[in-house]
Amino acid sequence: MKILEVNNLSLQYVNLNNTKSILKNINFYLNQGETLGIVGESGSGKTLTGLSIASLLDKSIFHINNGEILFNNNNLLLQSNESLRKIRGNKISMIFQEPMLSLNPVQTINTQLTEVIKLHITKDEDNIKKIASEMINKTGLEETNKILASYPHMLSGGQRQRVMIAISLVCSPEILIADEPTTALDVTLQLQILDLLKKFKEKTSMSLILISHDLDLIKNYSDRVIIMKDGNILEDGETKKIFKNPTNKYTKELIQSNPHNMIDFKPSNKILLKTTNLNCSFITDNAFFKKNRKYFQALTDINIELNVGETIGIVGESGSGKTTLAMSILQLLNYEGTIQFDGHNLSKMDNNELRKHRNNFQIVFQDPFSSLSPRLTIFEILSEGLMVYEKLSYKEMISICSKLLNEVGLNESMLNRYPHQFSGGQRQRIAIARAISLKPKLIIMDEPTSALDVIVQKSILELIISLQKKYSLSYIFISHDLKVIKSISHRIYILKDSKIIESNDAHNILYNPKTDYTKSLIKSSFLN
Amino acid sequence: MKVIDRNINIWNKFKSSNRNKLSLYIFSFIFLFSLFAEVISNDKPIVMNIDNQLYYPILFKYSDKTFGGYFDTEANYKDSFMTSKISKDKNWAVFPLNPHSYDSINLNNSTPNPARPSIHNYLGTDDRGRDVLARLIYGFRLSVLFAFSLTAIGIIIGIFFGAIQGYFAGKVDLYIQRFIEIWSSMPELYLLIIFSSLFEPSILLLIILLSLFGWMSLSDYVRAEFLKGRNMEYVIAARTMGLSNYQIITRHILPNSMVSVITFLPFRISGAILILTSLDFLGLGVPPDTPSLGELLAQGKENIEAWWLSLSTFIVLVGTLLLLIFIGEGIRESLDTRSS
Repeated sequence: MKILEVNNLSLQYVNLNNTKSILKNINFYLNQGETLGIVGESGSGKTLTGLSIASLLDKSIFHINNGEILFNNNNLLLQSNESLRKIRGNKISMIFQEPMLSLNPVQTINTQLTEVIKLHITKDEDNIKKIASEMINKTGLEETNKILASYPHMLSGGQRQRVMIAISLVCSPEILIADEPTTALDVTLQLQILDLLKKFKEKTSMSLILISHDLDLIKNYSDRVIIMKDGNILEDGETKKIFKNPTNKYTKELIQSNPHNMIDFKPSNKILLKTTNLNCSFITDNAFFKKNRKYFQALTDINIELNVGETIGIVGESGSGKTTLAMSILQLLNYEGTIQFDGHNLSKMDNNELRKHRNNFQIVFQDPFSSLSPRLTIFEILSEGLMVYEKLSYKEMISICSKLLNEVGLNESMLNRYPHQFSGGQRQRIAIARAISLKPKLIIMDEPTSALDVIVQKSILELIISLQKKYSLSYIFISHDLKVIKSISHRIYILKDSKIIESNDAHNILYNPKTDYTKSLIKSSFLN
Repeated sequence: MKVIDRNINIWNKFKSSNRNKLSLYIFSFIFLFSLFAEVISNDKPIVMNIDNQLYYPILFKYSDKTFGGYFDTEANYKDSFMTSKISKDKNWAVFPLNPHSYDSINLNNSTPNPARPSIHNYLGTDDRGRDVLARLIYGFRLSVLFAFSLTAIGIIIGIFFGAIQGYFAGKVDLYIQRFIEIWSSMPELYLLIIFSSLFEPSILLLIILLSLFGWMSLSDYVRAEFLKGRNMEYVIAARTMGLSNYQIITRHILPNSMVSVITFLPFRISGAILILTSLDFLGLGVPPDTPSLGELLAQGKENIEAWWLSLSTFIVLVGTLLLLIFIGEGIRESLDTRSS
């Protein structure tokens, strides 16, 4: 039975200066008890599709030109605000990507949960309490009373998303729209949350619309799938069929962009970097006397080795110390232990001496939007490092920067532009160009592809590998994504709670994991 | 391959709005005009011919004796002796557009002071018989110059301390912040009153006193911007490339923190004009003879029936503040590289 039907829906974004067509005549339907996956890159219109079904769009900016959204054969577009409010949250519910942003930080979980119950179910105080604690229990959270009494910031990311699910499911809606429900969570949590949603769905014959950029997730959890691009639906059908025999060119590209093994060369035997007993801790609770101070141990006895031309992957969830390790190697943090780099002991150097060696190790960050200064042109960004180490004329500088841009697959006519005029993938290329501008021996890649769409991600990874071959660079590749790591690393270190719990070459880690944690990582990355 | 100068871009963007252009042109015109106040509004002739000899009274001082008078003091070109001399035979004199200075008293007025606007005094006189137009021109110039210097000093000190606090953070930040807290709890107005009775009031004293306290509100914003900026990824990237602290501050953090400084710029300038005006209004500001808008407003309050006093001052004041804020808005918009 079709519970939801979207026919010829067109959506336009209108502001003072321009109008932009966002959804172009899209058609799809949702059966009762079914999970429909919507896949697409950022800007493809998948989130706005979800929002228009939940009637959450700002009508002054988003104009629905034609089409209808039939929910149980009622056109939602023709409903009054009053009747929409009875449907929204009650019959059609939505959960979002970032649970911290969807929960009100100044109210307890209890207030936020009972608010919905009061509005849609019952006004009886005792009943409300019962329903609330039952609901929290159902989402797999223990210590119900403690959770209900807490504020959002007191809960972990996974707990917050469970609470969000409790709030959106308390009215047992007929449709739940989950917009990237696990993207902000650590990999091991992702599976738990998705399994929870699946369990609910099976119990209540609810329908689920799962919006995601993650193909593996959609592949494993949805019955039917829609592939979206630029506001069009390119392909829809049963998940298994589409993943087996994609007919559309874009879909094929999307499915093939899943990172595969990309390295086909061996590193040399020469050691470039070696850390011995690296320790790092932060003061969390400062006090006048040393004995009263409390510390957070961010790194515990880290020993890693990196050869020339080698890539090591460092995997771990947020808070495991990945970035702290990167900052320590870059000598931007105070740490204990020694770091040997290219025959020098970096730990013993003072700042002036260090600055002479800094060109040898560079970093590329995750977020291409905050890693480039918004007020400098690309030329200024690229020439910055060169200024420190060499005296070059303006002309030489421009020719070097043009070469750098060509090297990362961009055009030298872009030198004049500002970072905001580029897409995320192009910005990441610029960041890479900046990193190689000083001809470093080591580049630390701190989640360089996590903020990018899969197809762009693949091209960036290819660029990284080709640069490595050309200049025999060594990489430390940091990521939470085992799929990416395994495709480009020679060896992998698994980091958990500030310690390295397992390390081996890439193949052995994947097919012969020793610790339970690694096994669960592999499982939640759908690698087995 | 040519790299376009960024400043040209900013200027083009600023020019693209008529409001910005008009405000800037009007303000610059009036300000430049007022810089030559001595030539525009003065009780001395620009040039005159007495007995076939040319004199330039605006540039040089001529004593009464030069023209056959009895005194060693400077000649008064408005008294009956000089006027009769000038109108004699072939003698002539070219007076400025407004033949009054800010401190010259019109003694020939037939009506009691403050006198209504008339052919002799275009905007009337104040209660001591001084020309209102002349006092407005000189007062405007003084206010704007005062505001510019106060703002410039405040910004330099504010950015300096804010940058140091925000960039180095930790203990440096802690100590300067405590100092600011203590310093800012000093009663500024009472200090002004006390100092204006201890020392002879002067513009310089006012600038020093107000500068001592005025930088703190700005340094807070700069500090916050720097605290935010020092952990940005592009700053870390710059540090890994080996840039020095000074280079990082001037190239990366400062330009990105300037938005808050520049947003405050027009408000600081207009605020400084207002401070001077209100201090003068209360009689705590500049010395009594100095032309000032605040003093004119105070006169307007005392002589409520002399509408030309308060109305003309009011228009000058509001017009100046409005123009300044329009210009500031324009600068802020054109500095924002993200808007197209």
